[in-house]
Amino acid sequence: MNPALSAVAASLDVSERITPDRVHGSLYTDPDVFDAELQRIFHRGWSFVGHESEVPGVGDWVSRRVGRDPVLLVRTRAGEVTVLANRCAHRGVQLCTGSSGTNGSFSCMFHGWTYALTGELRAVPQPIGQGTAAAELALDRPRAVDRYRGFVFANPSGGAGPLAEHLGVGGRELLDWAADLSPTGELDLSAGWLGQRSPSNWKMWAESDNDGYHLGRLHASLWRVAPGTQYESAALAGEERVVSTCRDRGNGHIELEFWKGYDKDLAWLGTGREKVADYVAALTAARGAERAEELLWKGPPHALIFPNLFLGEMNLAIIEPVSAGQTIHHHTPLLLGGVSPGFNTRVLRQSEAAMGPAGFLLPDDATASERMQVAFAGTGGWMDLSRGLQREVFEGTDRVGHVSDETVNRGFWRHYRAVMTP
Amino acid sequence: MSSPARSALPDGALHQLDPLLLDAAVAAFLNRESRLADESRYEEWLALWTDDIHYWVPSGAGNYDRDRRISFINDNRNRLTTRIRQLQTGLRYAQTPVSPMRRVVSNIELLSVGADELEVGSNFVLYELSLQASNELRIWAGRSTHVLHRRDSELAMSRKVVELVNASQPLPNMAFLL
Ligand SMILES: [Fe+2]
Repeated sequence: MNPALSAVAASLDVSERITPDRVHGSLYTDPDVFDAELQRIFHRGWSFVGHESEVPGVGDWVSRRVGRDPVLLVRTRAGEVTVLANRCAHRGVQLCTGSSGTNGSFSCMFHGWTYALTGELRAVPQPIGQGTAAAELALDRPRAVDRYRGFVFANPSGGAGPLAEHLGVGGRELLDWAADLSPTGELDLSAGWLGQRSPSNWKMWAESDNDGYHLGRLHASLWRVAPGTQYESAALAGEERVVSTCRDRGNGHIELEFWKGYDKDLAWLGTGREKVADYVAALTAARGAERAEELLWKGPPHALIFPNLFLGEMNLAIIEPVSAGQTIHHHTPLLLGGVSPGFNTRVLRQSEAAMGPAGFLLPDDATASERMQVAFAGTGGWMDLSRGLQREVFEGTDRVGHVSDETVNRGFWRHYRAVMTP
Repeated sequence: MSSPARSALPDGALHQLDPLLLDAAVAAFLNRESRLADESRYEEWLALWTDDIHYWVPSGAGNYDRDRRISFINDNRNRLTTRIRQLQTGLRYAQTPVSPMRRVVSNIELLSVGADELEVGSNFVLYELSLQASNELRIWAGRSTHVLHRRDSELAMSRKVVELVNASQPLPNMAFLL
């Protein structure tokens, strides 16, 4: 139990606010709910921290949050990637400022306590007077840190069970899929992250990132001026013609399968096979013809790994909860290892077009979420999430619906309800 | 009453013009560009650009390789035209209604002047009322660097780089003209 957690948040029961087809809007606005989420989802569960390719060299670090707790993702001298509290064990001063850097050690500006890259306390100035032995002091760290295909996750409480179990078959398949797009199996998240700050709740972003129903309406302005995208056949062609699906993969991991509605090879890259012949050849050599052809058709996944990692096609995004009414949506282009610089530059240009506070898509999504936040600001009210309930089907343990269906929202909230049990 | 004629540039190479006259023409251009952006007068603002252009809002200081690192805005002519046309659909919800804005441009300095091209730096403070949802009054500040050219008896811009003071930080919606 976190002593900082308010008694109200600790005992809060949200189960009555989530039914199979309705969710109460107060879950977006209630500060007690937010505090409970920090504890039950981000402390007690697994969430995404960063990718190994962000810290390629010894001493490289990037600054992140696990829930609201500032942490550093660090490459140690042994070549391991670790997660450390960005907070001196002495008086709690933040060690590193800025978003990234390279250090030989971490030294606190206040009294000079100095830590190894692994978080052990190495030096205390004026050591004769030191009380607790340095060997017993170290930077805090999440009790559990684990990775899958280079994606690093943390579970501060250590009580969430294995990462592989949280990811499940579905989550692992999605991460494999993203990594397999690279001929070397390596991602190269080196283009930097852009943050989009929005006065709206973090769960709205998890949902709108994976909403296959809104494209034709909310983003109509883009399709009108940029016709010919892959979304035309995959999402915009009309309810009866669109064959794309959405998929609840369990554990809150949800997916839009736009690829089923693509009308040509490599539609997701907006180019022809001959323009990326090197990539096609390298992928075929690495994965074999069958898997390579599957990947060339499908392109990247479009999915949420619960609670905070959005596999946004050729982007990754981290959904950072700030408060009940504030979120930062960070994104970086999904650059691949083992491809030409020109290939990655194309990905970068696509990312700049779609994402971020000046992109052609995300500002409109932000606006919709921000208007939800305004509209629910008082006592709230119910949301209807029944769309497609009558037509979704099971494929194994996955629930699958039309791409416009709210099967994914229901999957998100079903898991949310389960993990939010006090 | 008629509005005064716009800063007509006399003939001749820019660097051989009377410096006071050139200063005045550049200031008049920047003031006009700011007003058109503030008032979301998309067509007129777009007309201030030459054909081969670069409109850049970097994620930090504008000194990095744009092919390796991501930017908030990194528009060539084609992409800027798409941006403007998207706004003109009237369905760009992130700017529906448009944000009332007013910016103050100051500290104007000519950085270099050639025969038919010059570079000018200036600072700005911009107040934006985000009317689309939150009604927050947002303050934006930064430095602009313009590359201006002679186009007949007027100036036109081929490059505008906007280095926001908080370019390294998460930013709220920025779907208006900077
Ligand atoms: Fe969207």
